[in-house]
Amino acid sequence: MSDSSLPIVNKIDEAAPASRRGLLQLGITLAGACYAGAVGYPVYRYLATPARRAELADSEITTVSIPASGLPGPGTGTIFLFASRPTLLIHHEDGHYTAFDAVCSHLGCTVAFQPDNHRIFCPCHGGVYDMNTGAVVSGPPPRGLKVYHVEVKDANVVVSKV
Amino acid sequence: MSSFPKSEPSGKPNIVDGVYNWADERLGLTEVVALATHKQVPQHKHSFWYYWGGISLLCFIVQLLTGVLLLVYYRPGKEAYESVRQITYDVDFGWLIRSAHSWSANLMVFAVFVHMFSVFFMKAYKKPREFGWWTGLGLLGLVMLFGFSGYLLPMDELSYFATKVGLQLPSMLPGVGAIVNNVVRGGPSVGENTVQRFFALHVVVLPLLFMPLLGFHLLLVQKHGNAVPEGEAAKPLSQRRSVPFFPNFFAMDLAMWLIALNVITILATLFPWDLGQPANALASAPIGIHPEWYFMSQFQLLKGMGLVLPGMMGEVVGMGLFTAVLLFWAVIPLFDSETVAGKRARIATWTGYLVVTGMLALTIWGYAAL
Amino acid sequence: MNYPVWDVPFLGSGWVVGIIAIFHVMISHFAVGGGFYLILAERKARRENRADWLEIIRRHSHFFLILTAAFGTVSGVGIWFSIGLASPQSTSALIHNFVFGWAMEWCFFLVEIATILVYYSTWDRVDAKTHMRIGWLYAWTSFGTLAIINGILTFMLTPGKAWLAVAGTGREASEFWAALFNPTYWPSLVLRTLICFALAGVWALVTASRIDGFTKPALKTEVIRWSARWLLPSFILIPPALAWYLYAVPETSRQLLQLGVGTIGSGMFTQVARAALVTTMSSATILAVVYFLAWKNPKDFGLGHAIAVVFLALAATGATEHAREMIRKPYTINQYMYSNGLRKSEIAHVNQVGFTTASLWVSGNPGEAMFRGQCMNCHTIDGYRAMRQLLHGRDHAAIARLLNILHTVPADSPYKNYMPPLSGTPEEIAALNDYLGSLVGAAAGANDVLAAKGKTVFDANACSACHGDGGTGGPLAPALTGVGTRLPGDKLAAFLAKPSDKAVAGGMPAPKLADDDMKALLAYLNSLK
Repeated sequence: MSDSSLPIVNKIDEAAPASRRGLLQLGITLAGACYAGAVGYPVYRYLATPARRAELADSEITTVSIPASGLPGPGTGTIFLFASRPTLLIHHEDGHYTAFDAVCSHLGCTVAFQPDNHRIFCPCHGGVYDMNTGAVVSGPPPRGLKVYHVEVKDANVVVSKV
Repeated sequence: MSSFPKSEPSGKPNIVDGVYNWADERLGLTEVVALATHKQVPQHKHSFWYYWGGISLLCFIVQLLTGVLLLVYYRPGKEAYESVRQITYDVDFGWLIRSAHSWSANLMVFAVFVHMFSVFFMKAYKKPREFGWWTGLGLLGLVMLFGFSGYLLPMDELSYFATKVGLQLPSMLPGVGAIVNNVVRGGPSVGENTVQRFFALHVVVLPLLFMPLLGFHLLLVQKHGNAVPEGEAAKPLSQRRSVPFFPNFFAMDLAMWLIALNVITILATLFPWDLGQPANALASAPIGIHPEWYFMSQFQLLKGMGLVLPGMMGEVVGMGLFTAVLLFWAVIPLFDSETVAGKRARIATWTGYLVVTGMLALTIWGYAAL
Repeated sequence: MNYPVWDVPFLGSGWVVGIIAIFHVMISHFAVGGGFYLILAERKARRENRADWLEIIRRHSHFFLILTAAFGTVSGVGIWFSIGLASPQSTSALIHNFVFGWAMEWCFFLVEIATILVYYSTWDRVDAKTHMRIGWLYAWTSFGTLAIINGILTFMLTPGKAWLAVAGTGREASEFWAALFNPTYWPSLVLRTLICFALAGVWALVTASRIDGFTKPALKTEVIRWSARWLLPSFILIPPALAWYLYAVPETSRQLLQLGVGTIGSGMFTQVARAALVTTMSSATILAVVYFLAWKNPKDFGLGHAIAVVFLALAATGATEHAREMIRKPYTINQYMYSNGLRKSEIAHVNQVGFTTASLWVSGNPGEAMFRGQCMNCHTIDGYRAMRQLLHGRDHAAIARLLNILHTVPADSPYKNYMPPLSGTPEEIAALNDYLGSLVGAAAGANDVLAAKGKTVFDANACSACHGDGGTGGPLAPALTGVGTRLPGDKLAAFLAKPSDKAVAGGMPAPKLADDDMKALLAYLNSLK
């Protein structure tokens, strides 16, 4: 095309000496950081909104009340939501309750209560927890399950953070 | 091209050069680089108009990015309004993402029109650039459809009625008008089905059509380079200047992009987009309802013709006029071909002036007559 | 309150000040930074014996003279006129406190303008040494003007404990120096000086862009690059300086930055967050554009490009100054005087005797006077922060609840960080409710919280069954609108205790209500107009 026969002028000259160039590069990096911030920060907050709100809500909820009539009899386990966390409420044979965070500390599967084996069991990799203390009995989990405080008040089972 | 990696490594072992050479031997990067860097951009007093294609591209990229972000929270169909309400008033910075999307949409249409008219008046549709012109018109049409389909998605009163009014246009098609409208709307009136369809159009169909066409358009520009206006082409070579596209003009292009991005930020931040009342099919159309500004000239043409000519004649003549101009516009490269500054060239230029003036006048009249 | 209200429709008086002031900052900061630019450029040119540079600098000093001496001066005086009209009480307070400071400022101004005139007109007419002395005199005098006004501006945001201790005692001037060198003085001075140097570079690029790159490529490249460098140290140092400034600013002001994140819903004060975004973006763009356009392609840097950079600088400057004004809300002098001219210390008194009584200037009916005196400094009716838009859709009960929050300022009030307390007697506040309601066509109904309760009593006792919803009347019973006028004072209560024989014959019972409920019902019935 005829374009390539046009006289080339004004090619980019090389920039200033090294010390000035360092300063220049610092300036450009800062400008880039400003752009990254001005665009990146709003985008991050935008995408993170549900997670942040859930965290906020989670920290605000300290107690959950469950009507006892809605719960199955002794020797059963029930999974309910404490804020956004699955939580295991065990109704023991002798009538008392214990409650633990139901997210296995190994890789996050939801654990189950096995009344016949008198234990809390994680089906994913075979972790076993004590049904009274939530401590690890055997298997890969590194930590015990978080314990909640349970008491029976009027007709409700009240689970609260320790 | 001195600033590009060299094919042979320099004296010191350089990992970047090493990787580049490894890739080059397998992908033929040198040829790609040659294609990218051979282009020169003529520098003359009308060079300012060369930026506008790039600005349109920037707006498209902004639309793509903000659009994907909006997609994270938008729900088409029954919950459309509520999801947009959440984005605007609930989600952190949702108002910013949405406002950037709306403003950039308007700026994109504006930029594309400026780009098209500057190409027209520079006669950059002449051989060998005819395909560039046709793909460009195709892209313009798709951009208008993007705008029209996107406008409905919030399902507030404004969207709903503007879409209803806008759908008058396809209903004018002889014979098939009503059928086309029923298919487009997903029923006898604008509603949930329409939103769903427009959503599919806006998010999947139009992008799938737009992007390859855009790629082809850009490839042609890269291949043929920038056209120069006739006055400049007539000058002797010694008086003409050009700069390499890469890195000179690219740097200036980038600066323009940053300025355009800044304008979008200022508009989105200082004039954020609001949300009206939810669309109510039983409500009567608000007084002065009209489509977005880039449809106003067509809207007013039909309205104006309807005032002058009795009954359906008005709309038919209006549509006919509009179609005729569009057809002439499309075949202009064939009409105003090789001959420089001949009679046809003058006709083409004057038609261009007429079209620009007409569109501006109709748009202003349209707003005044609201 | 003590002065007539300046009613600027649509724009609002604040924005008249704002527009003039932002324009002034663009020029005055150029005047300071540009002064150093001129003298340093002249020094470089003379040292290197560059006659071509000297010619460019002379041209630039001509542009400089016209822009700063003419437009800078006029806009500066413009600020005086507009603040005196928009906010006379605050202006009065500042003058009384800083009259000595302003006297110094005017001395500096006089020397400044005289020197720049001499600097330009004696070019080539005096020896180099004298000329440069004049240039230095200009630069430092100009900086002096910045140093003083910076004290007054920063005082408004952080008057400092020492001054606040004597505020209102008549002895404010005893703490003149403490007030001038207040907590935000030094970070603000550093920030503004950096901005001055950056603007010097921006405006210099305008002159440099007009060098013909075709015929004088080497000269243009040199001048453009030397001018572009003026932006660099500023750009790098401004973020830490800004952090220092924000650290020195009161906590409540800093919190205002967060309000624009979740929503831009009507009524949320999102200005600061939004302005911050514009400032960040524009500043980064200025540097990037100057790098890619000016630095990398100096010969092709045209006037259009330079003007684009000036506009970007205007965006950044405007946003920053606007944000600075907004973080001071609700005060014009922090912790002392609110935006509407009322002093924090007199609110209790005004609540007791009434706003219209305490004011020297009132116009219109009491409700309108309340609005004009206490709200119009920041709100317009139909334009900027339009009341019509903000109160759209509210009925009188909703307006009453809002005014109650503004008046009592509970701890969880969403407005307390950026709106002054509403002061006045309950009757005046009710009158304001009437006025505001008339702006938005508020639904007839309860005029205050008590009457709102009365409406529930009215509905709960099936009064609406015969008298209609809202007392509009029906086939069985007359309308109750205006009953407060027909049965004024205690007559309405007496009627309800023992209705007339005619009423009893028609089926009207004597409602048996608790005292509180009866009071509420009476308030509601009296509000029906």
